Amino acid sequence: MTTLLERPDAPPTPPAPSRTRKRILPRAVSGQEWILLGVIAALWIALGAFTPAFLSANSIQPLFAYVTPICLIGIGMTIVITTGGIDVSVAGMLLVCAVVTAKLLVDVGVSLGVAVAVSVLLGAFLGLLNGLLIAYGRVHPIIITFGTANIFLFIGLTVFDSKVINGLPSTLEWFGRGEAGRTLGLPHAFVLTIILVAIAWWCMRHTVIGRHFYAIGGDPTAARLAGVKVERLTVIAYVTTGAMVGLAAVITLASGTSTLEPSVGAGQELAVIAAVVIGGTSILGGRGSVFGTLLGAILVQTVSSGVTQLGWPSQLSELFVGVFIIIAVGTDILRQRARKGKRL
Amino acid sequence: MTNTLTDRAATKHPEPNTPTEREGLPARIVRLILTQRIVLLGLLLVILLVVMFSLDAAGQLSGSFDTDYLASSLINVVPLAMLAVAEMVVIVSGRGGIDLSVGAIVSLAGMVFGLSYGEWGWPIWLAIIVAVAFGGLCGAVNGFLIAYLGFPALIATLATFYAYKSLALVINNQAPVNTKPIQDLYSSAQAVQLPIIGEYIPNFPLGLFTFLIPTLLVAWLLITKTTYGRRLFAIGTNDVAAKWAGMNVASTRARAYVISGLLSGLVSVVTVAQFASARPDSGVSGNGMALPAITIAVLGGVAITGGIGRISGLVLASLLIVWLNAGLLLLIAGNASGRYQLLALGAVLVFAAVLNGITSRRYSGAK
Repeated sequence: MTTLLERPDAPPTPPAPSRTRKRILPRAVSGQEWILLGVIAALWIALGAFTPAFLSANSIQPLFAYVTPICLIGIGMTIVITTGGIDVSVAGMLLVCAVVTAKLLVDVGVSLGVAVAVSVLLGAFLGLLNGLLIAYGRVHPIIITFGTANIFLFIGLTVFDSKVINGLPSTLEWFGRGEAGRTLGLPHAFVLTIILVAIAWWCMRHTVIGRHFYAIGGDPTAARLAGVKVERLTVIAYVTTGAMVGLAAVITLASGTSTLEPSVGAGQELAVIAAVVIGGTSILGGRGSVFGTLLGAILVQTVSSGVTQLGWPSQLSELFVGVFIIIAVGTDILRQRARKGKRL
Repeated sequence: MTNTLTDRAATKHPEPNTPTEREGLPARIVRLILTQRIVLLGLLLVILLVVMFSLDAAGQLSGSFDTDYLASSLINVVPLAMLAVAEMVVIVSGRGGIDLSVGAIVSLAGMVFGLSYGEWGWPIWLAIIVAVAFGGLCGAVNGFLIAYLGFPALIATLATFYAYKSLALVINNQAPVNTKPIQDLYSSAQAVQLPIIGEYIPNFPLGLFTFLIPTLLVAWLLITKTTYGRRLFAIGTNDVAAKWAGMNVASTRARAYVISGLLSGLVSVVTVAQFASARPDSGVSGNGMALPAITIAVLGGVAITGGIGRISGLVLASLLIVWLNAGLLLLIAGNASGRYQLLALGAVLVFAAVLNGITSRRYSGAK
């Protein structure tokens, strides 16, 4: 935490003198991300010193497993927030995808591939509803997604029908937390998440669509005049989020016990937004990085697993999450002001 | 969080369709329903009551949907409408104003109230004042972060939501306070017969008169009759213009969050009395209190971009939702009604929002 305050303006902003071409893309790893890496490293070392059990495979593997759903949804949420939107319906979508997939697994006994495909497609479809309403209904995203969140919860709870789903088969254990879900000690779900983060990171930096997301978030009117298809890209952003939620639902199913309760996913939307924001994505749009979101999610999970391992009441971890959000966004605001001050 | 999609309407339709002299009466009524949120809500309310009364008459309901039932279900309006007023004040203050932390403040201030009244035996008036002031303090933290440091409201209140929620759980080791004095408060949540006219009308919950109506009255006076109210709408409409007009934008905006905190503190007292227990998760369990309050505010016609909002819209919206929920409780048996209430809330919100989006383009220039 002190490292954050000591280096408020770590990255040198002027381009390197050896390069003649002016820098257009932002740096591969931004200042906020270096700070986050430093904070995570400091926390891990400190926790490792105080509780020797922390830096063991038994502690790190579950940590990565807990991070994956938040981080997967975070990929979509980062894109949505970068375009200047927000999606508070992800918890409702997660509930729908999880319960439908669970029913298919228990009642029909579908295979792993089918389960993943159904969940991802269902999520994408729900995301499509959000995207169409937001892009063509021209309503503020937070209002639409508040509304659809309630509708998704209704759908999910109706499929549940006031019962707990028991006897989930082990079809999904390849994604799970057990031995079958790991290769060389690495959870498959976490590796898949890293790959998806890398793809999303590359797309956001180097493809036309990716740059257009930033353009929409920066100034939608200017983006439209520059020929960006604002509506279509807005829909794509929400569909991506939905698909990611579908994948996260499969991993949630795989990681839990053999029962699924109707409380699955509750509060997840705020946890995801917290990870995205701690990762340095601006809630005002136009700036953000999927890599930062990954770091934000790891930081949040480190804090909550650290609090538990230190023997403190687990509810305290949310206090730290709140403090981290304020520090992360606060340093970002300070750095922005410092940069503006230099330019003027 | 940027606005965006609404501005476009203006570029596509440069000439607003102003009402002409030739517009007939039916067209005027349609226009009124589509553009005035209060008229729309009133119409929906009438439709709801007519449908429910006729379903009752046809014997489709598991209980009787009469005026007594309507009056007793008003107990649910009290916290909902008060928090909707809190959300309205911060949303109107503009620049993405929103308060996600109200539910967490309700929990935390409720624990403070429970401890001071139930455990330490303070007099009730002092305990109420302490709880409300504590809520105001929590709101002041939000206001400071947002108005003076420039945090986006969504982020600042998300952070304090986590912090207050966690503190409320830790402060008394997750245990609720339900000592004798707290349990006795339950009588204040009961229905009472009004003096003089009470024999002819149904009994109303006491909280309606002790908390909700005074709050609404004060909020209405504050918004419409005071300088502060005008300033609040001015900074919400255009804070740069307000600044050049000589207003202290930061202080006005910060005070909006303090008001939201004070109201949350007041709601915490209501909630403690209603549950007869100060629960550490009273404001955040399930979906929490913030999301329904924001939904009511938006449904009541508060523009999420700031500067627009009326108390009457909030009252109609909360009546609509609470009576809709009460009706669904009778229409659908068992615990299934809970999820149909979610559906109703979501569907009404999406419907109202999309209708608003379409009509504001059709009759562009209209609020």
